[in-house]
Amino acid sequence: MVETGKAVSRALPTRLPRRRRWTSQQMFIFGVIVFFAVIMMLPFFWMLTTALKTNNGIYHLPPQFIPTTFDFANFGAGIRAVHFVRLFINSAIIASVATVGSVVSSMFVGYGLARIRFPGRKIWFYAFIGSMMLPGIVGLIPMFKLYLNVGWYNTWFPLTVPAWFGNPFFIFLARQFYFSIPRSLDEAAKLDGAGHFTILTRIMIPLTRPIWITMAIFAFQGSWNDYLGPLVYLYSQSKWTLALGMASFAGVYNTPWNEYMATDLIYMLPPLIIFFVAQRYFMEGLGSLGGASVR
Amino acid sequence: MVQAQPQRKRRRNPDAGIGYLFIAPSIIGFSIFVIYPLVTSIYYALTQWDAVSAPIFIGLKNFIFMFQSDPSFWPSLKATGLFVLMSVPTGLILGLALAMLLNRKIPGIRMFRTIFYLPVVLPAVATLTLWKFIFDPRFGFANELLTYLHLPTSLWLGSYSMALPSLVIIGLWGVGGTMIIFLAGLQAVPQELYEAARLDGGGNWTILTRVTLPLISPILFLQLVMHIIGSMQAFVQPAVLTGGGPGFSTDLFMYNIWQNAFQNQQFGFAEAQVWVLFIAIILITVFTFRLSSMWVYTEEGTE
Repeated sequence: MVETGKAVSRALPTRLPRRRRWTSQQMFIFGVIVFFAVIMMLPFFWMLTTALKTNNGIYHLPPQFIPTTFDFANFGAGIRAVHFVRLFINSAIIASVATVGSVVSSMFVGYGLARIRFPGRKIWFYAFIGSMMLPGIVGLIPMFKLYLNVGWYNTWFPLTVPAWFGNPFFIFLARQFYFSIPRSLDEAAKLDGAGHFTILTRIMIPLTRPIWITMAIFAFQGSWNDYLGPLVYLYSQSKWTLALGMASFAGVYNTPWNEYMATDLIYMLPPLIIFFVAQRYFMEGLGSLGGASVR
Repeated sequence: MVQAQPQRKRRRNPDAGIGYLFIAPSIIGFSIFVIYPLVTSIYYALTQWDAVSAPIFIGLKNFIFMFQSDPSFWPSLKATGLFVLMSVPTGLILGLALAMLLNRKIPGIRMFRTIFYLPVVLPAVATLTLWKFIFDPRFGFANELLTYLHLPTSLWLGSYSMALPSLVIIGLWGVGGTMIIFLAGLQAVPQELYEAARLDGGGNWTILTRVTLPLISPILFLQLVMHIIGSMQAFVQPAVLTGGGPGFSTDLFMYNIWQNAFQNQQFGFAEAQVWVLFIAIILITVFTFRLSSMWVYTEEGTE
């Protein structure tokens, strides 16, 4: 399954078998793609120019697409207005702990389900997968009550601890990927006296790099972008995440939009950078997903 | 399910213990984060409870109040239904169209795919608030564009009729996620099939309806189900942008639940609403699965 995903992304169906002059139809299609791409990019341009506008610039009528004067002071002002640095660190800590937790635990559980024979493993696999179907909201109120009782309300624990108990989707991904690795590798390692833990850390983890990098990206983004969790569990402003801070900044009556957009840009940066750095793995991981669902 | 192993072998299986050790995190997680809340939520749905004092058992009164007297229940349900009806088809059609458009070899195609996927990567709060300013009636970009094109402007999020469609438009900006999955599906369609269809004289439309769509129908179906379930649970949009208003026009059900629980401290009532939503999701999913046999192509069926 994984192989098809990779092969497919390389050998794309081609409409231009030879390098020739474009037909009018191809020109038209290219034009349509460019048109849509420009529309997709417009909000970004608007954001960027707003971030650079002066206070007069944002309330200029008619609104200007490209400002006449640029103001880089918005970044500093915005950062001070939302206590950006503190919230940024909060978000980074929560996202890192949750990411490491969900990747490590899911690699373990996935290995157990794919590579170790024991009674009941299929039942547990279906139970974990089935729990993906359950809407998160069903458990929210009982979990809130539970966290309240153990004194975890207004702490980061509800946002980080559950990640360490395996993510069903990641477990599914890891299990699929482990299946694609020949069993003869395990057998050889076992003959050399390796236990399951050694096989996982020495053989599986290096071989499954694309998949755990994909998991890490998903997990980081999931935590960095989460709004409902922090909204429910974090009360003190000093413990807030950036998602909460930015939402409340945009929710005040007269948001200074230039300062807001400046900070919003920095808020977007970590997921963007991670996406661009790890894009190759990410698309491979997604490709294997697509391949899995076709068959 | 589990292969029945001979008693003798099972006793000697050295891996059983270590297997359970490996999956222990998920077993514990499954018990605490799935089974426990699932079971207790049924009880909480039948209580009156403010999360501080002990819950008081009141039977089905929450449900009776919800269906008969709660002024926000039906408007909220209507808003959610409209949101699903508007966002699911547009998202799927646009996602598929973009995937077909980008499923070809042209210069810069990777860049274009990245551009379309980019909004998906960004935090929901960041993009939603960005659109809040785009939709600003006086200083926003949306009305500026409309004025430039000599089209009537709108109050967008502040307008009773346009608020919900505005949320749908914002959602469409994130269509890249759907597009990528469809793209993977399209690329898995064997090229010989297209060539054969062309040799048989099939036009573009015939190839689309007779080859492409049937072959990607399993993905289409999966996307349909995921989109329905996802949009029934949309929460961030009203929470960040509209607060459910104006009127009840964007009072999506998840937001209504959140308000009742965490703002009005009616946790029992909110849990009852959760169960209504949950059962609605199950019913609609089952219904979609039932209908799927009519149009989802399976290889076993034809061979």
